[in-house]
Amino acid sequence: MESLLRFPGNKQLKFLRVFAIAVLASVCLSFALSQYLWSPPPVPLSGGETTVSNRTHQGFGQPAPNLTEKELALHIEGDRAFEATFVTAPAPVNAGLGPLFNNSSCVACHVGDGRGMPAKGSLLVRVSLPVSHSVASTQPISANGTNKQQSSIFESQPQASVTLGNAPPVPELGTQIQDQAVFGVKPKANVEFEFQEQNGSYGDGKPYTLKSPVFTITLPNGKPLPSNVLTSPRVPPPVFGRGLLEAIPEKTIVALADPDDKNRDGISGKPNRVWDVRKKALVLGRFGLKANNPNIFQQNAAAYINDMGVTSPLFPEKDGKSEIDLKTLKASTFYTQTLAVPARTLMNDQVVKKGEKLFAQANCTACHVAKLRTGNHEVKAISNQTIHPYTDMLLHDMGAELADGRPDFEASGNEWRTPPLWGLGLTQAVLPYAGYLHDGRAQTLEEAILWHGGEAEQSKEQFRTMAKGDRDALVKFLQTL
Amino acid sequence: MPFDLVPLEKTDKNLNEDRYLTMGSRPILLFSIGTSFSVIASLLISGCGSSNAPSATVSSGTSNAAATDVKFDRQILSDFTDKVVIPNNNLFAEKAKALSQSIDEMVKAPNSKTLKASQEAWVVARAAWEQTECFGFGPADSLGYDGALDTWPINETDFKAMLKSGQAITADSVSNMKETEKGFHVIEYLLFGNEKSRKPADLGQRDLKYLQLLGANFTKVASDLATSWSKGIEGKPAYREVLATAGASENTIYPTLQAGAEEMIQGMLDSLDEVANEKMGKTFKEKAPKLAESRFSFNTLADMKSNLQGSQNVYLGSFPDANTSGKSLSAFVAQTKPELDGKVKAEFNAAMDAMNQIPAPFEKAILDSKAANSIKTAQAAINAVRETIEKQVKPLVVQS
Repeated sequence: MESLLRFPGNKQLKFLRVFAIAVLASVCLSFALSQYLWSPPPVPLSGGETTVSNRTHQGFGQPAPNLTEKELALHIEGDRAFEATFVTAPAPVNAGLGPLFNNSSCVACHVGDGRGMPAKGSLLVRVSLPVSHSVASTQPISANGTNKQQSSIFESQPQASVTLGNAPPVPELGTQIQDQAVFGVKPKANVEFEFQEQNGSYGDGKPYTLKSPVFTITLPNGKPLPSNVLTSPRVPPPVFGRGLLEAIPEKTIVALADPDDKNRDGISGKPNRVWDVRKKALVLGRFGLKANNPNIFQQNAAAYINDMGVTSPLFPEKDGKSEIDLKTLKASTFYTQTLAVPARTLMNDQVVKKGEKLFAQANCTACHVAKLRTGNHEVKAISNQTIHPYTDMLLHDMGAELADGRPDFEASGNEWRTPPLWGLGLTQAVLPYAGYLHDGRAQTLEEAILWHGGEAEQSKEQFRTMAKGDRDALVKFLQTL
Repeated sequence: MPFDLVPLEKTDKNLNEDRYLTMGSRPILLFSIGTSFSVIASLLISGCGSSNAPSATVSSGTSNAAATDVKFDRQILSDFTDKVVIPNNNLFAEKAKALSQSIDEMVKAPNSKTLKASQEAWVVARAAWEQTECFGFGPADSLGYDGALDTWPINETDFKAMLKSGQAITADSVSNMKETEKGFHVIEYLLFGNEKSRKPADLGQRDLKYLQLLGANFTKVASDLATSWSKGIEGKPAYREVLATAGASENTIYPTLQAGAEEMIQGMLDSLDEVANEKMGKTFKEKAPKLAESRFSFNTLADMKSNLQGSQNVYLGSFPDANTSGKSLSAFVAQTKPELDGKVKAEFNAAMDAMNQIPAPFEKAILDSKAANSIKTAQAAINAVRETIEKQVKPLVVQS
């Protein structure tokens, strides 16, 4: 280099040299720009600027890295609210548990902000009375977007409104079995379950066994739950990345819907329309396993009251007071809105690349939509991000074997909202033995895929009949999400 | 030329995927622009004579700095489980049993001597337990051991109502009680009372019965926790295997060896953060003794020191209380960056020294203006070592 610079030449040579430098520089510049500006980053940032690199048990529990200092402080405050263990009043700290509840802190169910497991304290059972859909839908719709029957239920039991679309509460039980109680109070029912097994085999003849829970629900008088009561067991879903999902424009989600399967690909997809307690109106549903909650604020307040028996300004005591204040509810909301999304790993692994292709070829991406873009949101960090959630936020018929038979607003007894798959591979690092699917029945990703039916039947069959190497590649791809 | 290739080496590192990720995508753009400019700048100034320049920039990830030449050794991870986690869990199980036995003695003959012996056994068990907090992931979480042993706060209203009631107190009834009515802090309350004021005469027959059954329940859980790591429990594989085989093709939890190593480090980071900013920081900031973790026994300061000791054990790959040691993270760091290893060790020592300057009990020190500086200093010292591990040690391991 230095010798070149000191090369003693005439003006012509100098000009040539300058010219050559200019040409080379522009080549270098365009090369550099094409490498670093115009091509996508080497790793799809699953959560846009909120992505973190963390493959540990805390992979779901990191603050988004693009928060301001002030926002980070609020996130940490919310983290503490999320971790707070409630106890029976009176108490010097965290009073307000119960009298009925399922667990005593957010984090006790959402361990490490992740997926739960089919176990006491983690799994809960939603209940409701059957209602003829035709009856519900022929009720006159009132000015605020709901019918008279719904309005009166919302008013009499606002805390349960999250599951009240066409799911009337069961006398004595409400809409969720709270199988724990403070001292001196009897739980309204006891929930036990055991697993039943069924066998199947892959296309190549390799056998497999699938397990599913069978429930025994007993009332305090020792009698079983009446057979007409509809039940829906749930394990807690992960809570990270939820702000991004809240920030996806409604029109994006609605545009993905194809309720009448006009494109005849066997996959419909429809948005849920659910009750917004603050707006007093039916709006797009986003959260919960059947998308029966419109936003994170309401989702969290509903979890406080239904899961822990803790009243909040949204679902207060009869006298209007509440056990947590608005500041706490807002902080916990902000916390769940701003949890980072973990980045993918082993992106350059050939098997993973093959698995990703197979995932698309089997049309899994028809519902598990890989790429979406968020719009404007009051939280800047989650606004206008390109994300890779692997969900369309829509309801799909998943077949009889996964059906809970319990409708929830627009969701039928066969339908579930496509769960996001980002971070999927970290599930059991965050909580070993966590289970996949709505009731946590699947211990492995293979099992989870094999349970797919209904609109996903064809995709499931493609997986089932793949060569072993291809199945393994597809699963490995999922494990690196 | 002083500028020659220096910016290129830097940009080369910036191309590393992991670095991208830790920075988020906006910095990528900035760094990309930075990269382009530094390329141009280098070329123009150097006369662009070097054909190495562009290739050095393009070959992303192929020529990482010498720091990453040393691969993380699996032995460090298996020694972490075998020489730190398992011996510590085993010691805790042993001390939990000793606590339960002390309580049995006290129940037989409740007097100030047997009460004092039980209190001392609680403090000893507590020291072993608090050192395990930096590896409280895995089965401790998913099988509910952490909750059964160390839930905070306790539900005084409910267990006091139960004690006042006529309800039978049996092994089953105690086992079915809520986590907030079991474990360390309920035992602590019964043994020490508010502000360490317990007298043997305070404890009636029902209190003693409850305490005795809590001790037995506690011992069982402590033993299960130890087994879950060493042999496996409830038909599940030993968690030792899960972590030590990180990156093996059949390991569905840790897809790479680095992910397993990162887990070990994450445990330290969580614990150090909790000690500095929650247990110490929040309680001090709010001047609220009711937030102190072990406020009945005035043991909070000792708890925090044991937490710090636990993280230091992980870094040094040893568990002094059982005289075990193995290949350490410290040795790995020292291989490539001896000065960084020295820094971490010194910062651990400084943090412990700073904690030793806080006058016990912590519950009173937070209200004492003369002690304020010692608390602030200790908090800063713990955060310093946490930050060094997070920003310098973790990248070294993850990128190895």
